[in-house]
Amino acid sequence: MKQTLCRLLSAASLLILPVAALAAETAVDATTIFRFDQRDITGASKENLMPATQFLGLDVDKLADGNLSLHLYGWGRADLADKSYNKNTVDGSFTYGYLQYRFKEANADVCLGRLFVHEGIANEQVDGISARTDLPLGFSLSGFGGGTVHTKHLYGETSDGKGDSIIGGRAGYRYKGLLDLGVSAVYEDNAPKLTSTLADGVTPRYTNVTHRLIGGDIRLSPFHMVELMGHTSYNTETRGVAEHSYLLTVKPVRGLVVSGEFNEYRDRSYLASWAMFSGTFNPGDKSRSVGGIASYDLTKTIELAADYKHYTRELGNADRYGINARAGFLNNSVRTGFGYHYLRAGSGFAIATTPSASYHELHAFALHDSKTYFAALDGVDYIFKDKIYNEKSAWEGTASLGYHITPALALSGDVSYGRNPQFTEEIKGLARLTYNMTFDSKGGKK
Amino acid sequence: MRLVQRMLPAAFLAALITLLAACAQMQELPSLPAWHPEALAVGQQADCSECHDDQAKGTLKAITAFSHTPSFVRNHRFYAASDDRLCAVCHKSSFCNDCHTNKVEMKPSYKFGYRPDREMPHRGDFLTLHKIEGRLDPASCYRCHGRGNNERCVACHR
Repeated sequence: MKQTLCRLLSAASLLILPVAALAAETAVDATTIFRFDQRDITGASKENLMPATQFLGLDVDKLADGNLSLHLYGWGRADLADKSYNKNTVDGSFTYGYLQYRFKEANADVCLGRLFVHEGIANEQVDGISARTDLPLGFSLSGFGGGTVHTKHLYGETSDGKGDSIIGGRAGYRYKGLLDLGVSAVYEDNAPKLTSTLADGVTPRYTNVTHRLIGGDIRLSPFHMVELMGHTSYNTETRGVAEHSYLLTVKPVRGLVVSGEFNEYRDRSYLASWAMFSGTFNPGDKSRSVGGIASYDLTKTIELAADYKHYTRELGNADRYGINARAGFLNNSVRTGFGYHYLRAGSGFAIATTPSASYHELHAFALHDSKTYFAALDGVDYIFKDKIYNEKSAWEGTASLGYHITPALALSGDVSYGRNPQFTEEIKGLARLTYNMTFDSKGGKK
Repeated sequence: MRLVQRMLPAAFLAALITLLAACAQMQELPSLPAWHPEALAVGQQADCSECHDDQAKGTLKAITAFSHTPSFVRNHRFYAASDDRLCAVCHKSSFCNDCHTNKVEMKPSYKFGYRPDREMPHRGDFLTLHKIEGRLDPASCYRCHGRGNNERCVACHR
């Protein structure tokens, strides 16, 4: 009932648009993609795939008194040949669609419709309402509530891990530019919790419970060059800490950035409502990663970076380290970059009976974008320390070529070829038409 | 306990008065602009320090902290969770939803094959790689695929 009401309210909010659409500023983003793929798998019939996908976004600003705006985005797909995915030849998703009213003061806004919420420990998609505002003396308040947005037709599952309705909020305090503190909470009604399997021993059995998370977040910048930020969340259902995530960034001199991160997750508390949790993970497990990255700008357009990360799990531990470099030339119309990383990981992380999960990763790209045409080359190669399914590596190269028909309209095509443990050869093609237009734009285009 | 019960109306009244007082002062609090006043170059890692060396009026955060360095790009989740209002000055929500969404149609690296500089996730043969990466750091999968977008995961993982 609550869910239906939220959806009705969201839909009804769109009905006022024709009345308000005076003196509006409109931006349209449309991308049409035709993909061409041929699948020939041993033991199955040969398939020719040609899915056509339309992505469409619409942003209408300055509605009504100038502070109201509408934002819509989604996609639809039709299979013009064999079915490309699951049982349907057509599919689609309404990603978001909401009205936003921005107040002139205090960063206050109200959103109504289907929207994403990122604040504190909340990271949700809801059919409902969200509001937030700054308050005097450095305080702030935000809240959201509504129906959860479900993933439809989750094959073989009775739940997608989400409940019926969700509500949450954050209260914050800011001291000058030095300190931000926040406490936040999320409460989800009728959320599924995996308890066991049905008689077949495979199908998960879910019971409905409330899903509750509380947490705190911090941002501390005692000096201009130092910043600490992160959050901790606690699952009151499992009575355990779900997550610690913290990042420390130091900028000692111009162009040099050094950061270190610490993450720890308790699977039972953090992943409890994930459908994949049913068979893939050990609830008693926890994972921890500690790492760092340092980057330096040699010039405005040449950038070097090196990074390291250490992973710890019950399965074992692993290390990843590597370098990246990027450069831009000719007023940044030519851009290029390459990277090398090595993952050292033992048999606990390996695929099937492979003795090690270690691999080298190499990638490189180059692109040129002019007023008339644009072109790009991209290559990635994973070289395994021990062969996977009798293959030593997995690599893919992609070439893309496009033409700007007008400044807003472009036609492009991609061709990629690769060899990997899954397919002896993999060839893919794609044709793309993009239209990005802002009417009566003032200021920067988003 | 009785003392707490007696205190409740007083606390409620105090909160109400504080809220009213706060509303009266709201007009003095600045807001972030709806969009960046100048057009920014496409494809260039935004360096906010080129023009800014101060704090964003609406959030009091150092604008330079949001310069798109390699560290920022890799750890952008911290900044988005900290204050996505500052992100929204330059980015539409759909920019985030190219990767973070409830239901994804194709790998972002396919959709943006002409922009390899964006270094979208899951390039190349991630079908093989995910068997290693998923064991290594399942929380990194969960951030995009956990609370939604399960459909492709459970096709195999049951």
